[in-house]
Amino acid sequence: MKRAGLMILVLSLIFLFVAQAFSADVIRFGAALSLTGKLAKEGNLVKNGYELWKETVNKKGGIRVGNKYYKVDIKYYDDESDPNRAAKLVEKLITEDGIKLILGPYGSESVFSTSAITEKYGALMVQGGAAADKLYTRGFKNLFGIYTVATEYMDDTLKMLRNKTPKPNTVAIVYSNDLFSTQVAQGAYASAQKYGYKVVYYKDYPKGTQDLSTVIVEIKAKNPDILIGCGHFQDTVVIVKQSKDYKLNPKAIAFSVGPTLPDFITALKGDAEYIFGSAQWTPTLKYKDPVFGSNANFVKAFKAKFGVEPNYHAAGGAAAAVIFQRAIEKAGSFTDINRIRQALASFNEETLFGKIRFDATGKVVGKGMPVIQILRGQQKTVYPEAAAEAKPVYPKPAWR
Amino acid sequence: MIILQILLNGILLGGFYALIGVGFSLVWGVTNIINLAHGAIALLGAYITLFLFQHYGFDPFLSLPFSFIPLFIFGYILQRFLLNLVVKAQIFMLLILTFGIEIFLVNFMTTFFSADFRSVTPDYAGESLIVGNIVIPYIRLGVFAICVLITLLLSLFLNKTWTGKAIKATSLDIDAAMMVGINPAKIFAITFAIASGLAGVAGSLFSLTQAFSPSVAGALTLRAFIVSILGGLGRVEGALLGGIILGIVETLSSYIIGESYKNAITLAIMVLVLVIKPTGILGKKYFAEVKH
Repeated sequence: MKRAGLMILVLSLIFLFVAQAFSADVIRFGAALSLTGKLAKEGNLVKNGYELWKETVNKKGGIRVGNKYYKVDIKYYDDESDPNRAAKLVEKLITEDGIKLILGPYGSESVFSTSAITEKYGALMVQGGAAADKLYTRGFKNLFGIYTVATEYMDDTLKMLRNKTPKPNTVAIVYSNDLFSTQVAQGAYASAQKYGYKVVYYKDYPKGTQDLSTVIVEIKAKNPDILIGCGHFQDTVVIVKQSKDYKLNPKAIAFSVGPTLPDFITALKGDAEYIFGSAQWTPTLKYKDPVFGSNANFVKAFKAKFGVEPNYHAAGGAAAAVIFQRAIEKAGSFTDINRIRQALASFNEETLFGKIRFDATGKVVGKGMPVIQILRGQQKTVYPEAAAEAKPVYPKPAWR
Repeated sequence: MIILQILLNGILLGGFYALIGVGFSLVWGVTNIINLAHGAIALLGAYITLFLFQHYGFDPFLSLPFSFIPLFIFGYILQRFLLNLVVKAQIFMLLILTFGIEIFLVNFMTTFFSADFRSVTPDYAGESLIVGNIVIPYIRLGVFAICVLITLLLSLFLNKTWTGKAIKATSLDIDAAMMVGINPAKIFAITFAIASGLAGVAGSLFSLTQAFSPSVAGALTLRAFIVSILGGLGRVEGALLGGIILGIVETLSSYIIGESYKNAITLAIMVLVLVIKPTGILGKKYFAEVKH
């Protein structure tokens, strides 16, 4: 028994030395992700983004710091889609595993909880998986996020529509009364005013509602040119179906969430046609990228590795990692958190996710939201013009 | 003009509420069971319609017998071999049992059909009757007509057939009913079967007008509960009246005060009825009487 104990001690000591010697040429990142649980789908997509980045970087020799190349290693934990657990795991990454470079989890709640931990321990987080404005109102210095925030979700859609003929003048905004959707709606209201629209309807409905016929009838009485829905997937289905029932025929219908999901077309079939949606990212954007070469190359590499086209979750993960890497290279250190933070604060580069700059709070600015439209049963990027696959159809034909 | 449209919407919605409420009310009135699984059973009907529509292109209105018959049998078996065992137990036991059945059914549906929201959209969805400024979607009109028709048929059944009379007799006086040769266990089972079958039909019609997922089961049960309270237990005409009142209250309060406050207003009305007339608007004393 004693001998066995001794053996284990010796072995673990050897392992410790080997690991240390090995780790000298490796930069270790850490991530607590939803690999199981209700956000498992999104969490695994983000992980795929990280993995593809890691593989691509390592194939090229690694991250260049000074004159030396370091291989990338990522330590993952499964937070089981629980923000509290995610926070504990990030604490474990920092305090037990000694990792101070944290790649973000998926979902606003998890980013909210884990970024408080990275802030507390002076670790650094770059995240491509959460869009709540409240993440950036806490005075944190060590959190950088690349998702366009909720209040800016509908801005590009309203900007795109303002020059169309016949010119739209009135907007109706209807939103689910949860935090995210409320912020999206507030932002849409501000954007509508900025672009000179008149907001003729602005009301919320309870989260998870099944019947919005009264709301639709009310909106119809206001006869808006544009209908903006800020809610979740199921709400968009209800709004589309009941708009058709009650012959609510605005010149454009746009949703913050919904049309970007493949299920939107499956659920609504022909009725999904001509509806606009906001996307964080689309595969057709024509951006350059320091690691993958271009957005198109990223899409190709992702398809080759995972067999499916990437969506914005995977792209967000990969882009966050790319930005982290570029900041480390610019800082010339992967241990001096302060210098990497400064490199992020002054970051201004084109990546697969867009031209990325951060404001003083760490949130991305000026990235914009590409606009998609459902055309012949497919999501097509219609804005910005540089990335457009098709011309937006406006005004929307009346319901058949 | 808009108020007219909203009132009309309320009435049309009310027809559906009547159908979902009438079975719940009947079971409560006759067997004294508050069936918390009622909404989940209705959703089974919705999924039957969805399944037939998606896989065989079945017209949703024609699928009504296919949701009525299996759920009628399901309801019969459930009452005969499970609920009858504890029907004499305390109300608390029955609540726990039916709540357990609800959880089981919701999870069953989530496993088989996923938690995604679905809707049944036949080709004629979105076609509407237009009278001046008023839009009446044909589907909602059809759903209303069927709901009212079925409720009236149920009323005829209860008043004219032997089984119907036996159900009413059992609800009035179980001992007297036994004396004239009625088997209460059987009557309970038939009542529950009818209620489940009607819930299934209501669910099928629900799938035509609204989006659904297993998670809305609770909301449906709540509506059935309110309809029963408003109209009075065990009364078919009560359910019809209660349903229409609920429909109008919901759409009006949504319009005047806001969609977000709709549920609060509805529940306030229910409390009001319970305080002013606990037997419901059309309820007579015996129907709501506690029998043990």
